[in-house]
Amino acid sequence: MSSHLKIAVIVKLEPDFSEGNVSYNSDGTLNRAETKSILGPHSAIASSAAFFAKVKYGAEITVATMGPPVADVALRQAQLISDADFLHLYSDRIFSGADTLATAEVLKFGIGKIEGPEEVDIVFSGHRASDGETGQTGPQTAWKLGYTFLGNVIGYDIDLEKRVVVARRLISLQGTSDIIEEVEANLPVFITVDPSYKSFFSTISQRLASAKYQQEAENRVQNYKNHLKIFNAQQLGVDPSLVGLPGSPTIVYKVEKIPKAGASRRALIVDGSDSLQLSTVAEKMLSITKVDIGQ
Amino acid sequence: MSAADTTASGSGQDETGCNYRHLYLIAEHDEGRPLPVTFEMLGEARRLMDDFNSNYSSYEKVVAVVLGDNVKKICEELIFYGADAVIRVDHPTLRYPINAVDTKIISQVASNSGYASKISPEYGKEFRKPRFMFFSADNVGRHLSATVLAELESGLASDINKLVIGDLEIRHEHKTKGQALKYEKILQMYRPDFSGFLWTTILCLDNRNPTIKREYHPQACSIIPGVFSPIPRNTSREGLIVDHILDTHGADKQVKILSRKVIKSAVDYDGRKTVLSFGRGIGDSPEENIKLVVELAKELGAEIGVSLPISKKPYSIPEPLSSQYLTPDRVIGTSGRKVSPALYIAVGVSGAMQHIAGMKDSGFVVAINPDEEAPIKDECDIFIKGKAEVVIPQLLAELRRQKALEVQR
Repeated sequence: MSSHLKIAVIVKLEPDFSEGNVSYNSDGTLNRAETKSILGPHSAIASSAAFFAKVKYGAEITVATMGPPVADVALRQAQLISDADFLHLYSDRIFSGADTLATAEVLKFGIGKIEGPEEVDIVFSGHRASDGETGQTGPQTAWKLGYTFLGNVIGYDIDLEKRVVVARRLISLQGTSDIIEEVEANLPVFITVDPSYKSFFSTISQRLASAKYQQEAENRVQNYKNHLKIFNAQQLGVDPSLVGLPGSPTIVYKVEKIPKAGASRRALIVDGSDSLQLSTVAEKMLSITKVDIGQ
Repeated sequence: MSAADTTASGSGQDETGCNYRHLYLIAEHDEGRPLPVTFEMLGEARRLMDDFNSNYSSYEKVVAVVLGDNVKKICEELIFYGADAVIRVDHPTLRYPINAVDTKIISQVASNSGYASKISPEYGKEFRKPRFMFFSADNVGRHLSATVLAELESGLASDINKLVIGDLEIRHEHKTKGQALKYEKILQMYRPDFSGFLWTTILCLDNRNPTIKREYHPQACSIIPGVFSPIPRNTSREGLIVDHILDTHGADKQVKILSRKVIKSAVDYDGRKTVLSFGRGIGDSPEENIKLVVELAKELGAEIGVSLPISKKPYSIPEPLSSQYLTPDRVIGTSGRKVSPALYIAVGVSGAMQHIAGMKDSGFVVAINPDEEAPIKDECDIFIKGKAEVVIPQLLAELRRQKALEVQR
């Protein structure tokens, strides 16, 4: 592993949707005040994709996020997964309220602050945030960085000599069969990791390396603040008119409850404790499905 | 290229600018076969722009942009389904979408005043960019919309399922510096949030605040496949086809497609007569209930789906159940799959709009839910009032009894 590989992972602090931590209002909407925050699930997958490069290619990893000071929780959780060497928090009051374009602007400058003479070879980010769900920030950051964008990546290998990545992408489109596309791209690239991504460590030496780095990660997170650098707007050198609310082309004009559509079907109501009624339902189900008998 | 350094157009009287005209949409196809969403976008674009032109006494066009290899035939179809004009980029290297390549081409095409002049001479001279732009919210269009709008430096809303164009009075701390100002011809882009219960309206607005003055056009969005209806195909419709000649000199060699393989998804809904989904209503004893759901699915030969919140792994249950069922690739709804089986069974699914959109075309729908107020009640044919843990075991027993009887006969 003589050739150097430099990796960044962009992560996000998101509401924790797990039972016991999430809180819903009576109308079914998320109660943000009562809901805890954690590293988003897609960010966690992106972190594990970076860890794959650490194990396989000895990559140096920086995990980065834009957010309030408490977002360092997400960095810590991502470090535990990726064994990141460095943690970056881009935090400034003027960043708040940013839409995806204004967020990408900050992240572009942030990635530029990662130290060393060489540029970052691969930036990973999650498929989408589980609260915003736009999936736009990754590709927009890629474009601003001038990196080749590869979305929906389910696996990858790198040729360190040729400086190319071979990535497998999952493409599923309306009314067509799913396709796995294998692409080759010159580094640097920006990869968003598909939810179905899984790392495979096929050799014993990889499994040993994986265990070693996992142990290292556990030690590192004990003192994660030693690895953490916080940057404000001035330190990043961003133009204040291009970030936060002033730099956002879009605004949220209103939020409303989705009106209940008129009933599209008229339901027959069945008492779930009445076995006679359930017998009729079972009969109906079998008549529709015509399940093979004795299956 | 940048909209950043321009001040308001012309005299500054027409605040919405006459540099921005027409609705451009990016047509998607599978090697020459248009995807349904392409016709759906065209249908919505046609309806919106017909109203727009009559309300504002204008002649702005619906322009479809199509990239591909040998896409002559599609262009005609796009016109039959509502396009006034098509900008065609036909080249062997464009057989499959490549984000880096397509982003550059679309950004060039969208900023080309020569094409705009051909399409509509009356608006051509001042044309700088489209007024509105539509993409499909799928694996290709979602990323493409993001990179194109990063290049065009304007705003984008994703996963839209309702659109309205009109004038609005806006008072905004940054956009208007707190003043109430009238914005004309604004695209109101409605997107359902992840819960499916809230609708957020996104606007893309110029900064009129003198200290951060900036124009943001096009107003762009990605549209959820399956929500809008196409207009009827009309072969007497005529339109202009404009060719964009690809400059392959210095073409992007950054990405090379090595292979493409069709795979059968691990989760196969299309091959099943029955789809059985579960939602947060199973939460009292998730592990037990998921096991019951699996048993019921087996009895009916059903594939298992989930509601969006379930894909976020809300329960800590043992493997392999967790990674098998609490996953995004099983989500039924606007952010997952759309299914239309003969029988759809919803267990503990409340019926958020975004889930309904994924199953409403099913043949017969049975819901199991203790809450008669749940919206799913209005979307099913049989509503079994009761908890999953009570209903499913009885249902299983009944199914088995009736099957056994059938065998005896």
